[in-house]
Amino acid sequence: MSKTPSSLREHLDDFIADTLSRCTRCGKCFEACPMTRYSDGLSNAEPGAVVSGVLDWLTQTPGNAESVAWLKVCTQSSRCIDACPEGINAMKMVRVGQMSAMGSLGVPAEQTALSGRDAKDFFRVINAFAETQMSAEEIARWQR
Amino acid sequence: MADKVTFWYGCNVVRHGDIIHSAIALLQAVGVEVTPAGGAGYCCGTAKDANLRAAEGMGKRTVEKFNAHGTGQVVSWCPSCYRHMNGFMQEYTDAQFQLVNFAQMLHARRDVLAAKLTHRVERRVMLHQHFGFHEVDVNPLVEDLLRLIPGVELAVTQASAPGHMCSALSRVPAALKDATRALCGEARRLEADTVATVFHSCQRLLCALDGSEPFRVVNYVNLLTEAMGLPTQDDYKTWKLAGSEAAVIAAVGEARIAAIGEKLFRESILPELLRPAAK
Repeated sequence: MSKTPSSLREHLDDFIADTLSRCTRCGKCFEACPMTRYSDGLSNAEPGAVVSGVLDWLTQTPGNAESVAWLKVCTQSSRCIDACPEGINAMKMVRVGQMSAMGSLGVPAEQTALSGRDAKDFFRVINAFAETQMSAEEIARWQR
Repeated sequence: MADKVTFWYGCNVVRHGDIIHSAIALLQAVGVEVTPAGGAGYCCGTAKDANLRAAEGMGKRTVEKFNAHGTGQVVSWCPSCYRHMNGFMQEYTDAQFQLVNFAQMLHARRDVLAAKLTHRVERRVMLHQHFGFHEVDVNPLVEDLLRLIPGVELAVTQASAPGHMCSALSRVPAALKDATRALCGEARRLEADTVATVFHSCQRLLCALDGSEPFRVVNYVNLLTEAMGLPTQDDYKTWKLAGSEAAVIAAVGEARIAAIGEKLFRESILPELLRPAAK
């Protein structure tokens, strides 16, 4: 029986190892994606090659340009999950690929291909809107 | 004895206090004792993919707080929070609770809810749908709930947008525009006078359509509370529809702007309120 991961990184490493051992690079996940038409870089892409590029990111190796283009347009539509004949959560595979392309898994900063989604003032804006919408008592009781 | 749950409303939904308050009222109406929790202090960390240490710290902290609530059930409003809890946080923490989607919880108690919906709401409603929330097939659940409202005529559509909610599309602007245009076309074709959003980010990104389209954009929980006789006010929509910078400032009001801080308001909030709907 496998050990329960004690950290997010440990969980991601388990997920990556499992994905790499099962993915056949058939490209069905890419073919099912409703977002590929929004990237010029994907119009003639070979599905298996795009997936290979994503798997490269999972091994902390910068993937090909097509893989980066796919990582950029993923909006978590889930169609890829049902498409995978091996039962891999392909949406999570792409998400972890995005994390790697942001430099979260060890790719050197100069080789990253994506920036993070969180604006620096994200929580300040959240707190500001809460001030306008909720009472001081609600904020004190519900948000701390 | 009432079931006790933690109602985890999330972060970005705080733009819509009306949604939070309506959701709590609905849970209470179906006999649930609610401990609300949300905002930055309960963030799931899903936006921290570029900083795993921060994501893990936020995830562990939030799970520990939910465990301390001791309710055994966390009812999640936000599909991003649900997805992150289900797919990441619960994998490396000792989560001592069952995770349930809000619409699932309400749908399971729809017989109790139906008896509370005593006010007619004369609207022809089309549901705004996304197909990306694979964890919970939420669209038919919400349609069922809308059918409980006396007076509501459902304009059934097969149209469904990519992503799990509109904020996911905002990182691909052309896709958000396409989804918004398709929504407007479908609502006109079906002669809907109301488009019901399921999630808060759709309400946030679509509510300004009220100013140019022949339908109103309303979150479904506010239609349900309207049927309960509880009035709601979507302040965020009012601000989005104000039009000019001066009108937005007047609508938000000096006291609120002072509480937020003039600099933060002008740099981060005012531009958002002045941004038109993408189409």
